[in-house]
Amino acid sequence: MVYVAPALLFVAVFVLWPLGHLIWLSFTAKSLMSGPDDAVAFVGFDNYARAFGDKNFWRAMTFTLTYTAYITPILLVLNLALALLVSKNTPLRRVTRTVVFLPVVIGLASSSLLWYWLFDQQVGLFNRLLVDMGVLSEPLVWFKKATTGQFAVIISVVWKVVGFGMILMVAGIQAVGNDVIEAAMIDGASAWKRVRRIIIPLAMRSIVLATLISAIGSMLAFDQFYLMSGGGPRGQTFTTVYWIYQSSFVRFELGYGAAQAVLLMIVITSGTAMQLWLSRKGQK
Amino acid sequence: MKMTSLPGFRRLLLTASVAAFSASAVEAETLSMWVRESAADPGKLMVDLWNTSHDNKIELTAIPDSQMITKLATSVQAGNAPDLVSFDLIYMPDFMKAGFLTDVTDQLNADPHYANHIQAYKDIATYEGKIYGVGFTPDVSVLAWNKDLFKAAGLDPEKGPQTIAEVVEDARKIRALGGDTYGFWFSGACPGCNIFVTSPMMVAAGSKMLPKNGTDDALTGDGVKTVLEALKTMWDEGMIPANAETDTGANFVSAFTTGKIGIAGTGGFLISLMAREHPDFNYGLTVLPGVEAGQVSAFVGGDVVAIPAKGKNEAAAREFLTWVLSDDAQLNGLAKNSILTTRTDLADNEYTKGNDKVLTTAKALSVGYVPWVFHFADMVNSDSSPWIGMLQQAIFDGDVDGAITDARAAMLEIAGR
Repeated sequence: MVYVAPALLFVAVFVLWPLGHLIWLSFTAKSLMSGPDDAVAFVGFDNYARAFGDKNFWRAMTFTLTYTAYITPILLVLNLALALLVSKNTPLRRVTRTVVFLPVVIGLASSSLLWYWLFDQQVGLFNRLLVDMGVLSEPLVWFKKATTGQFAVIISVVWKVVGFGMILMVAGIQAVGNDVIEAAMIDGASAWKRVRRIIIPLAMRSIVLATLISAIGSMLAFDQFYLMSGGGPRGQTFTTVYWIYQSSFVRFELGYGAAQAVLLMIVITSGTAMQLWLSRKGQK
Repeated sequence: MKMTSLPGFRRLLLTASVAAFSASAVEAETLSMWVRESAADPGKLMVDLWNTSHDNKIELTAIPDSQMITKLATSVQAGNAPDLVSFDLIYMPDFMKAGFLTDVTDQLNADPHYANHIQAYKDIATYEGKIYGVGFTPDVSVLAWNKDLFKAAGLDPEKGPQTIAEVVEDARKIRALGGDTYGFWFSGACPGCNIFVTSPMMVAAGSKMLPKNGTDDALTGDGVKTVLEALKTMWDEGMIPANAETDTGANFVSAFTTGKIGIAGTGGFLISLMAREHPDFNYGLTVLPGVEAGQVSAFVGGDVVAIPAKGKNEAAAREFLTWVLSDDAQLNGLAKNSILTTRTDLADNEYTKGNDKVLTTAKALSVGYVPWVFHFADMVNSDSSPWIGMLQQAIFDGDVDGAITDARAAMLEIAGR
């Protein structure tokens, strides 16, 4: 007990207490503009009832789920493909791993701003590249439509985070014993069969972990949309966290924002539990 | 001996006490001050000037604009606020109502310079008869035009548009130059930019903009519709670049400084920016127009400086507020740096003489408006506000009447909370 006390204390102070405070806040009408001495009114489940009837909140939730549904498989495939290509320890592969991993150390806000200008219709280099390659006939205003805006954000986020998932999967792949691979090769298994029948099943824990981290990160998306699309056009690219931010810090309704945050937490926890259950079921 | 030495010892004690007290009384303090990032440059000029001439020093910290309200509110609630804060004046009503700021009524009423303080700043910093701050680094919206493009389009380069109709006509002629030269610019997804430069044209044309409560007037008068239709015309005819629709303010200033935009709403800050970064740029400034010649208005913006409630160095902070209205601060801190003064009696000074652009902004300041409303962030500044929703629905979707009706209902709902 003494040995785990620091960890328990850390969790209690930095996880349990804030979580408890968030849940308490969700049952109040606390405003960011409450005076220091103002009493906080307890409103029961009013904030939750309001959230269930708030079409903007559910539109943001739907958009977030859609975004997650698009970006997660893209990242999964790219992470795995890159990890398979660079998992062996040769000098060139090590350099490649480093290069692909580099964007991970850049802040998400910085990378979002970088890509915002790359996508700019007038001075954006990405637009220019696509026009020069003949993919586009003229520079595109990417954030004019929700679909192209979302696609632009996905490109920027994939560039930013793909290296992280790749490293996790490389670790999983490198943990697969060489003797197993060599045995399969002696038995005449092709490269594709070795990947499908040996490497993927044995590295499944790393793959699931990378996918979970990616999915949860996508469900919590905020910076990239805040900086790149501003929620536009016409509020079509508000993510759930962005909408919670709007409620809490623009409309000053901390209590209502907390209730939405609790609902998002329930959705993410349920999704994660289901994902874990499915992966365990698949392994049996 | 004892009788003579005791008073001497007492004198010594007294002297030591007085010396100790005096030392603590004159001991310089270091005040903390927050300024929003977008006003950090003029704020730093003022603070640097203060620091060169005062024992009490100020440490200035720039806070990102989007975090200022949250940080200030939470710091006041936690009893850990800075000694001074400079923030967007538009949030004064919410902060004053919440009790976040120190009442400085007696101090300012006793200050002879306060009588000459610009009325818009007095109004926005007054709540229920009490005063909570003073204008610090002012700004005001104006209309800029590119003289070279005006000349190339056959227009008089020395005369900016005097009505909304002239804005459209001039923009059309400039667009006719072709290529990537456009007549007009506005940031179509930036609510703050547009309340600054678009709403004054509506006000100049006779409209009332924002409601104070759920039963007040909102977006009334023909001005709103006239301006929206003018912008829609310019958008439909391609006088505005396509990326204006999605610009969240990143190109608010830079679009004009590329030299490929004929006319754009901007702020007085442009003068010092151009002098610093584009000294050869040939442009003019005029007051934002209405429907008829002579109808003008502006949005009085910029920062107010106030003392957060329960500050630890209130006396020293009050000294700074008094200094802000002094001749030294107004002339050497503001006017000398091509920034408007916040005192009307110093508007015409040695630094503004012969500078038509600064005089134009001074004129704009005298005719400008600032909306005194609660929930400004929700009603206007938010990315999902009815204000930006109205602009986008009217200009880009083409539904002018529906946009005004929807926005009015949403604003009244917010104001009624």
